[in-house]
Amino acid sequence: MKFRTILTIIGVVIGTASIIVMVSIGNGAQKSITDELSGIGSVTTLQVYQDLSSMGMTAMGGGKTDDKAILNDDAIKDLKKIDGVVAVTPVVNLSGGEIEVDREQYGVSLMGVDYAVLEDMRYVTTSGKKPGANDENSVILGKDVLTSFTYTGASTQLEASEVKPEDLIGQNITMTIKRTNANGEEEIKTQKLKVTGVLEATGGNEDYSIIADYHLVTDLNEWQTGRKANVKKQGYSQALVTVEDSSVVNDVTSEVEAMKFTVFSMQQILDSMGSVFQMLQILLGGIGGVALLVACIGIVNTMTMSIYERTKEIGIMKVIGASISDIRNMFIAESTMIGLIGGLVGIVISLVLSVLINLIAGLFIGGEGGVTISYITPGLVVFALFFSALVGLLSGVRPAIKAANLSSLDAIRSE
Amino acid sequence: MHKDFKLGKEDIHILKGIDLDIEQGEMVALLGPSGSGKSTFLNVLGGLVPPTSGDIMIRDYRISDMTENELCLFRREHLGFIFQSYNLISTMTAMENVALALTFAGVKKEIRQQRAQEALEVVGLVDRMGHKPSELSGGQQQRVSIARALVNHPEIILADEPTGNLDSKTSADIMEMITRLNREEKQTFVIVTHDPDTTKYCTKVIHMCDGLIEAEVNQ
Ligand SMILES: Nc1ncnc2c1ncn2[C@@H]1O[C@H](COP(=O)(O)OP(=O)(O)OP(=O)(O)O)[C@@H](O)[C@H]1O
Ligand SMILES: [Mg+2]
Repeated sequence: MKFRTILTIIGVVIGTASIIVMVSIGNGAQKSITDELSGIGSVTTLQVYQDLSSMGMTAMGGGKTDDKAILNDDAIKDLKKIDGVVAVTPVVNLSGGEIEVDREQYGVSLMGVDYAVLEDMRYVTTSGKKPGANDENSVILGKDVLTSFTYTGASTQLEASEVKPEDLIGQNITMTIKRTNANGEEEIKTQKLKVTGVLEATGGNEDYSIIADYHLVTDLNEWQTGRKANVKKQGYSQALVTVEDSSVVNDVTSEVEAMKFTVFSMQQILDSMGSVFQMLQILLGGIGGVALLVACIGIVNTMTMSIYERTKEIGIMKVIGASISDIRNMFIAESTMIGLIGGLVGIVISLVLSVLINLIAGLFIGGEGGVTISYITPGLVVFALFFSALVGLLSGVRPAIKAANLSSLDAIRSE
Repeated sequence: MHKDFKLGKEDIHILKGIDLDIEQGEMVALLGPSGSGKSTFLNVLGGLVPPTSGDIMIRDYRISDMTENELCLFRREHLGFIFQSYNLISTMTAMENVALALTFAGVKKEIRQQRAQEALEVVGLVDRMGHKPSELSGGQQQRVSIARALVNHPEIILADEPTGNLDSKTSADIMEMITRLNREEKQTFVIVTHDPDTTKYCTKVIHMCDGLIEAEVNQ
């Protein structure tokens, strides 16, 4: 093989490899984020909120409000009836609580859910167990409940306490909440909570909350605000709907939306992120594509040179009976081979590069089980091979047509 | 038949009205001074350049009306060319050069090799079939090019000074071989030559001068 041809192939190798590596980095980012998000099991949990617009109308006190749009106990029952729904619970939040563990104060918030359906929800305890339906004063700790913000100079750091949430299993902790009464005096209420388990990371609010029974949380809330909650009229601020599996998420979502509630699911985030990542891939692929474009110019140049050098040969072939298409196909096949070989080598190199990138990234980022920065899908490999061959083919077309149309007599006379 | 060449804006007449019949199986010598248009005439005959006016008929085929592609296909089946400068492909062996003509005709590889070998046998070069042109003498290269012209078994072989670069002994060998092929295979030969010795092998000698046929002698 000519040195010139080898250089041209190297050009294609670089072009193909940069496209693959670039796109693989886009892929890797998408994969690690979606794995992270969907791995935490919350894909099958939908967050349902009262529709913001209908809430606005109630607040203004005007107009007739559609009672379907209020997230009260009737609505919870209706949500339960939707096909594919396993469990529905209202969520009642309480913030501003404090607990003392090992002589340290931790600010906590409670997230109250219906213990009657706790068993059916996708909450998984890493240790301990879930409270039973009647364990009103039992709670599960989010895994980061004992992590506090500390301010060290300019930067904020998350600092895990020496005590782990697991250490508290089986113990009673005391939570205090405060309120200011009508006379402007501060009142304090204490509440004993029995820790039965620690929740696996969900990536959501739960990690920093204490899961409790919503009846208890409602009571504490009423004490704190000094007002009786009117669930029937105002509804819960949020409900969690657990569905069978991810395949029914979209169906359930649209049914809940039809009930005039606002739905929020990990699936929606994943879907919208998909298009962001697609853009990212196109962008990165485009950067790689520039390298392949340069390679393309290289192929055209090499083919033109080669035809120039082989003019006499082309003339001879035409005189002894090669047709226009014979000559044309011969040169197109040659440039396609350049593209194909370059593509194959480029794929091998980018596979190696991908492994290296992940290894090196792993050294810097750390983390168990390796890091995925660059992820090459089989589809990407097939696409790259096809694309490099296509680039070779297209680059060859013009020079090949030029060669095929050479006058045989002029060609044979050239030296 | 006429042939003009454009030289700048001017048309120069090279072939100024040639009217000639060649019978099948004839061996024709084209003789004439340099620049008289012998090569041009041969190239027009072989469809390598189109005539400016007039017709070329080979059997029932009107060469002068054919498109470039039709000419390629026609040459592939009916014509063989031999050049003064051999025109072999330098990167290919003798065998590959001969077989190349069959490649374009779509002949299968085994058959291609077998027929190329037969053609090289005819010219007595089987023992050199693995050699590149640069490893062969002028006479041997010309024999390879003859083998290439023969391998398709064309009815007509057009040769432009086939012995022009060869010494008289080798020229005689080549001409004898051509004569034998002409007799045995009934192939028609049109041979451009400067060498009066060559003409004695031919059945017909045509003298050209200044783009016209001056004399036609049957031998
Ligand atoms: N492509 C061309 N363009 C212009 N003029 C040409 C072309 N080819 C040939 N000629 C002219 O045509 C004339 C005849 O050329 P040709 O090659 O046919 O002569 P010839 O008889 O074969 O001569 P020789 O014996 O030297 O080979 C010459 O004057 C030449 O300059
Ligand atoms: Mg000549």
